[in-house]
Amino acid sequence: MFRLDPITRRKLQRFRSLKRGYGSFLVLCGLLLMSACAELLVGSRALIVKYRGRYYFPTYAAFHPGTDFGEDYSYETNYRKLKERFATENRGNWMLLPPVPYNPYENSFEPGVYPPTPPSFSQRHFLGTDTTGRDLLARLFYGFRTAMIFALLFLVLVYAVGIAIGCAMGYFGGAFDLLMQRAVEIWSNMPFLYIVIIVASIVVPNLWILLGIVVLFSWTDMTYYMRTAAYKEKARDYVAAARVLGAGSGRIIFHHILPNVLSLTITFMPFTVSGAITLLTALDFLGFGLPPPTPSWGELLEQGTANLDAPWIVSSAFVAMVVILSLVTFVGEAIREAFDPKKFSIYQ
Amino acid sequence: MKHPLHFSSECGRGALTPYRFLKLPLVAALTLVLLSGCSKKQTEVTRDIGPEAQAYYKAHSEFFHFATPADLPKDLVWHDGSDQPEFSAPEAQRGGTINSFISDFPRTLRYYGPDSNGDFRPYILDNDALTLTQQHPNTGQYFPGLAKAWAYGSDHCTMYFKLDPDARYSDGVAVRADDYLFAFFFFRSSYIQDPWLNNFYTKNFTNLTKYDDYIISISWREPIPDLDLWVGGVTPVPEHFYKDLGTDYVQRYQWRLEPTTGPYTIKPEDLHKGSYIDLTRVPNWWASDKPFYRHRYNFDQIHLQVIRDPEKAFESFKRGDIDGFGLSLPKYWYDKLPDNDPLVQKGYIHKTTFYNQFPVASTGLYINTSMPFLNNRDVREGIAYASNFDLIDRDYFRGDFVRMQTDADGYAEVPFPGIHPRPFSVDQALAHFAKAGFTKRGPDGILMNAKGERLSFTVTCGDPTMRDPLTILRQEAAKAGMELNLEMLDDTTAFKKVLEKHHQITFMGLTGTSVEKYPRYWDFYDSSNAKPQTDNLTNTADPEMDKLIAAYDKAQTMDDKRRLALVLETKVYENAAFIPAFKMPFYRIGYWRWMKWPKFFNVRFSYEPGQFGLDWIDEAVKKETLEARDNGKTFPPEIKVYDQWKTADQ
Repeated sequence: MFRLDPITRRKLQRFRSLKRGYGSFLVLCGLLLMSACAELLVGSRALIVKYRGRYYFPTYAAFHPGTDFGEDYSYETNYRKLKERFATENRGNWMLLPPVPYNPYENSFEPGVYPPTPPSFSQRHFLGTDTTGRDLLARLFYGFRTAMIFALLFLVLVYAVGIAIGCAMGYFGGAFDLLMQRAVEIWSNMPFLYIVIIVASIVVPNLWILLGIVVLFSWTDMTYYMRTAAYKEKARDYVAAARVLGAGSGRIIFHHILPNVLSLTITFMPFTVSGAITLLTALDFLGFGLPPPTPSWGELLEQGTANLDAPWIVSSAFVAMVVILSLVTFVGEAIREAFDPKKFSIYQ
Repeated sequence: MKHPLHFSSECGRGALTPYRFLKLPLVAALTLVLLSGCSKKQTEVTRDIGPEAQAYYKAHSEFFHFATPADLPKDLVWHDGSDQPEFSAPEAQRGGTINSFISDFPRTLRYYGPDSNGDFRPYILDNDALTLTQQHPNTGQYFPGLAKAWAYGSDHCTMYFKLDPDARYSDGVAVRADDYLFAFFFFRSSYIQDPWLNNFYTKNFTNLTKYDDYIISISWREPIPDLDLWVGGVTPVPEHFYKDLGTDYVQRYQWRLEPTTGPYTIKPEDLHKGSYIDLTRVPNWWASDKPFYRHRYNFDQIHLQVIRDPEKAFESFKRGDIDGFGLSLPKYWYDKLPDNDPLVQKGYIHKTTFYNQFPVASTGLYINTSMPFLNNRDVREGIAYASNFDLIDRDYFRGDFVRMQTDADGYAEVPFPGIHPRPFSVDQALAHFAKAGFTKRGPDGILMNAKGERLSFTVTCGDPTMRDPLTILRQEAAKAGMELNLEMLDDTTAFKKVLEKHHQITFMGLTGTSVEKYPRYWDFYDSSNAKPQTDNLTNTADPEMDKLIAAYDKAQTMDDKRRLALVLETKVYENAAFIPAFKMPFYRIGYWRWMKWPKFFNVRFSYEPGQFGLDWIDEAVKKETLEARDNGKTFPPEIKVYDQWKTADQ
C-alpha cells in the first residue's frame, strides 16, 4: 500500500543495531516458525515410515489405521509401539519419529505408574507428564502456538478497528468525534472480565468466540492515540495540499496520514502481544478460556498450582511464560527506542 | 441420624457424590433451578397465616381429619424401636469446637424454595432436623425420632404416631400435632415456590388425622414396603415461625433459620456472610439423653470457615486449622498426604478408610434419546462400548474407584448380580456404529455415514473435577471412531441445560441422601417425565417400560419389587441410554489425632464420617499434640481400614 520512507528505513536499521531486542526478535521468529511446523517436532505421527518397501509420510496426511501397517486395530496407528515392533521384527521396515513423539492430547498410562510423572529421557517425556499423563512439552509447545495465534489475530483485529475508528475521529472531528469519544468512554467502562465469565458459563467459547469478545472490549485504547495523532497530522500542510489536489477522505487517511502515524502503533505492538498472551493465560487459568482439552498455558499453570507436589508442571509453564514474555518485552523496548521520535523527527 | 457433616469437602463434593442431590423425602433436585422472579419489593408487614391455614384445612376436609383418641383403631401394635441396638460410643466426650470448612457461602438459610437445595442444607436440615421415625444406620430398621411410638394401620398405607411430649424446637416451643397439619398446608402452598415439594406432598399423601395434640396418623396413597421411610420421614413445620408466610417468603425468610428439632442451630450473630458460620449445639437439647441420641452430636460448636479453594483448605488442614479432611480422591490419599508424610509418620494426623453401604449415586453418561442419532439404540450401544471407564477407574483413579454395574447399585435388598456394563471394545463399538450406518472413517479417524455426517457428540458437564477423566474418555472414544466434544460449564448452567433437555450427553451423578430400600424408576424412565425439568435425563419414553414402572410402583411386597426391578433394570441395560461410570465403595479421611471416633469408626449406612455425629474432640490430646508438634515429640502412626461392612463385590 505504501513504500517505506527513508526515515522508517533508518529506524529499522537502528532496531537491528540494538542487540538484545533484535536477538529476541530473531529467537521469537524462530520459535514462531518452529511452532508453525510443530507437527514435525512434537507429535505422535511418524515423519517417515518405510513399510514393505513403501514410504509413508503420515504427519500431514489423513490418518493411517493400524491395519495399514499390519497391526490388528482400525484406529490411528500407535507409531511408538510400531517402531518397537519394527525393531524386534528386523525386516527392513523403519520409521523416523519426531524428537518428542507425543501429541498434546494423548494420555499415556504405564501400568503401576500414576500421572503426573516426572521428566524422563528414556520415556521421551522431557518435561514429564501432566495429571492425565499427557506430555508436558507437547502441551507447552502447542500451547505456545495457541497463544501466539490468539495474540497475533488479536493484534490485527484490535489495530484494524482501533486505527480506523481513531483516525476517523481525529480526522472528521466535530460532532462525530464528540459522540464517539463518549461512546468509547462508556464502552471501555464495561466490566470486561465479568462479561467473559458470563459468556463462558453459558457457551463454551472456542478461539473465535473468545477472540471476538476480547477484541470487542479492547479496541478502545487504540482510538485515543490514533485520534490525537490524526488531529495533529490533519493540520499539517501536506494534508491540506492533498485536499487541494482533490483527494477524498479515505485516500487522505490511508495514504497520507496513516503512514505518518504508523510508528506510533508499531511501538505499541509488542506490548499488545504480551498483553494478549497474559490475558489468554489468565482466562484459561480461571477456567473461562478455551475448552478442554485444548493445550494452553493457563490450564497448565492451574494444574501446576493445584499439584505443587509435581513441581515440574508449574515450573515448566512458569519458565515458558517468563521467557516468552521477556522476549516480547525486549523486542518492544528495542522498537520503542528505534522509533523514538526525538531522534528522527523532522519538522517542516 | 442427622448430623452436620463436617468433612464435606472432597468427600461430599469431589468424587463420591459430587453432583446433584436428589433429596428424599424432603426436597428434590429440581428445586434448584427455579424462577427467580418475585423480585417485587414489599415492605415487611406482619401478618397472621393462622386463619388462612385453618381455612385450608376446612376446604380440604377430605385430607385433614380431626378425631379423638377414642377413634384410634383398637388393634394397633405400637413400636418404639427398643429392640434396636444403640450405635454411639459411650466413651464420647461432650464439648469443644470442631473446625471445618465450606467451599462457598450458602445462598440462603431457607430449607425450601429457590436456591435452598445447596451443599449447605445437610448442615441445617438433612443431617440435623429430626423426622417422626429415624432409620437405624446399621440395621435399616427404625427408632424413635419426634414420635416416641408408632403403629401400622391394617390398610398398609397408614401409620399412627404418638409424638414425644418432650420434643421441642430450638426456641423452646413444643412440637405438636398442629405442626404437622401446618406442614401439609406449607408444603402444598405456592408461597414457598417449590414445585417439587408441592407435587410430592399433594400426590403421595391421602390423609392426615389429628387425634389429639400428640397423636396423629398419616396415610400414603397405596401400600408400599417402606412406609416408614416416606411417612415416617415427614417433618413438622413450626407455624409460629412462619406466621408471616406470604408471597414474599423467599426474601423474608432468606436469612432466617427455622427453629430446629435437631441438635444444632445458628445464632444470628454467628452468621458472617462470605466469611464463616458457627453452628451451636442447642442448649439443653431435648433428645440429648434419650436412647439413640446420647453420646452423639458431641461438639458444642461447629465452626465452618469459607475456603473456596480446596487446595488452600487442604493446607489449612495440614497446619491444624481444620480438624479433618476428606481424602477420598486418590490425589489426596496417595500424593498430597501419602502414608510416609511426616505428619502421618509422626502420628499427628491419622488416616482411615471406611467401607460403607449406601445406594450409589447413579454416576455416568446420560444420553438424551430424543436427539438425532442418539435416538438410535445401536448408536447408544456403540457409545457404551466406546466409553473406556475401565481405563479411567484403573489408571486415573488408581483402582480405588470401581466400575458401576447398573444405574442402581448399592440397594442391599435389590441386587442385580447378572447385569454388568458393556466393557470397552473398539470392535463391538464399530459393529454397532456400522449397524447405524456409520461405516467409513474420515481423514481424522472419526466415523461418517453415507451422507457424510460425522459421529460427533457433545458431553455436557458441570463438575470441574471431572474434566480430566472426561478428556481421557474423549481420547479413547476416538479409537472407536467417535468424537466427544467436552462442554464444561458452570455447575448451575450445566444442570439447567440438562434439565431443559438441551443436552446430547451429560456426565452426572444423581443421588438421594437417605437410604431407600429399592431404586426409583418413575423419576428416571417414565414417559410422563420425558419433558423439561424432570430427572428423566435420558428422555426415555417407552410405553412398555411405563407399564412395568406402574406395576413396580404398585407392587406391595419386596418380592414383587425385586422381581419387577430386575425386569426394569434389564430394560435399562438394553436401552443403553445410561452408561455406568464409577463408584467408590468406601470413604477415606485424614484427621488430627485429637479427633476421636467410636471403636467401629462409623455406621454402615453413612456416606460421610460426620453424618451421624459419632465423633468428638479430646481437648487434652489436642493440647498434647500441639505441644508435641512444637517440640518434636512423636506418636505411633495410625493408618486404619474398617471393612466390617465391606461386601463381596466391593
